[in-house]
Amino acid sequence: MELWHTHLLREKIDQDSLLVQGNRACALGALDAGVRFFAGYPITPSSEIMETLARELPLVGGVFLQMEDEIASICACIGASLTGEVALTATSGPGFSLMQEALGYAVISEAPLVVVNVMRMGPSTGRPTTPSQGDVMQARWGTHGDHPAIVLAASNVADMYRLTMAAVRFAQRFRTPVTLLADEVVGHMRESFSPELAGRYRLTSGDFDFTETYIHPEMVREVHPHQLGALRHPHVTGLIHDETGFPTNDPKKSEQFLYELHDKVVHHRDELCLYDIKNEGRGRVCILAYGSCARSARAALRLAEQEGLPVEVLHLYTLFPLPVEIVQKVARRVEFMLIPELNLGQYAREVRKMAENWTTVVSMGKVDGTLIAPQEILERVEELVGKYESI
Amino acid sequence: MRFGGSGGQGVILMGVILAVAATRDHRQVVQTQSYGPEARGGYSRSDVIIARSPVDYPQLIGLDLLVALSDEAAHRYGGLLRPGGVFIFDSEMVPDPPALKRASFGIPFTKLALEETGRAQTANILTLGAVAGLTGVVSQASLEKAVLSMVPPGTEEVNLKALGCGLGLVAEEWRR
Repeated sequence: MELWHTHLLREKIDQDSLLVQGNRACALGALDAGVRFFAGYPITPSSEIMETLARELPLVGGVFLQMEDEIASICACIGASLTGEVALTATSGPGFSLMQEALGYAVISEAPLVVVNVMRMGPSTGRPTTPSQGDVMQARWGTHGDHPAIVLAASNVADMYRLTMAAVRFAQRFRTPVTLLADEVVGHMRESFSPELAGRYRLTSGDFDFTETYIHPEMVREVHPHQLGALRHPHVTGLIHDETGFPTNDPKKSEQFLYELHDKVVHHRDELCLYDIKNEGRGRVCILAYGSCARSARAALRLAEQEGLPVEVLHLYTLFPLPVEIVQKVARRVEFMLIPELNLGQYAREVRKMAENWTTVVSMGKVDGTLIAPQEILERVEELVGKYESI
Repeated sequence: MRFGGSGGQGVILMGVILAVAATRDHRQVVQTQSYGPEARGGYSRSDVIIARSPVDYPQLIGLDLLVALSDEAAHRYGGLLRPGGVFIFDSEMVPDPPALKRASFGIPFTKLALEETGRAQTANILTLGAVAGLTGVVSQASLEKAVLSMVPPGTEEVNLKALGCGLGLVAEEWRR
């Protein structure tokens, strides 16, 4: 434990207390997961990730590059990735938009890397210092063409640390870029937490095994360079290619390639879809939430319990690949799924596709730059339960 | 609790130092902030939630303590104070404080800081001392350690002096 959490535990302010800023926790998670390459361009509200790594990476023999923009940043990360490093970059909406083309290049060249997007209000420059969840579908479909996506969402400072580690692990195992979404509140907040207790995640295949053997800095160093050295003439391309790495126009091979790219992620939902359920099996209304809205949902659950309202909370840490199994399992037993999010219902549409055969999916979007208050959620729950009573 | 003022007064640092001190007191703490896009001027605020169990909703719904270093902050946030809450303000920056029917203390922090340390920049640390002294929200020992760990190197002595001055303020002298 001590060795594994080296960088995090250095932040301890006394024997057993830790108070870390979300963005800093992300940087520490990257360091503790073995990330030794960062290239980026600063942008509010993600800059502290870059700031921390600028100071810390050189001290552990890593490489830190401030690039001229976000396009160059992600391209530098892809280059590092091809040499066997797990690279990380951090940005916010405007920068994430610039990264989209190269993100597709990372997908097709199967370059493992992590992109952290600390979301702020958009579109465009939007409102840099306010939280948002407006980039959820961009994280899924921002780059063109059919492609897989692994997208995680952090709701607190402990998540920023542990999900960064999980993102590194997923990138490495599935050889694909992984996006970690946070928002301004989670990125900028300072929060006390215990590394031993915080952020326990569940998988449909069991508990998320976050032990030293799961991910260890030394393990990351063993990622094999992409094709380099494997062939006499290593070749990396953004064109559809066959097993030699060279382009192909063969319809059969093209189809096979795209299916492999897609299936390697989607067929491993049982080890990718992290979630947590509160008050499991006791709700008629399930509040499905992620990111900072999951905190509002948990607080709303407490209020609902005081009023004797039957509510459970499904907190998703993995947004993509879609956690079909767990969403459908819960959908089968509840009458309503209520989805509070800081956008106009982006993820609610995904949930509707998964769950509408069994339950009524209710979207609750908010785009004024403030968080959704627990009381607002409670009022919606009361409305839904009341509606049911009157039928 | 909320610290409100304008950019450049060290309002966010006050919240962070208080959060560190409360963490040292083994509490569960969340500190958030909100500020305009300007580097100086514009509004700035720092919120701290101190609890015995992990905090779910990270933003303030009502206030138990408001520290206002600008007139705008006093008037904008004063109404959020709960019954039994405490209102502390800089009496020079807030010449016309809202009448709140809450325990109120008006203290000329910047003036006191200038007199005590010769540096107006220490007003935020002096204010923190006053907050701890008047409310007991964090222990003096934890606050002192937190200040020492957060202020720029070389300014420890002058900041400790400001802190001591704040801690020593007598409630009855400043009650409004």
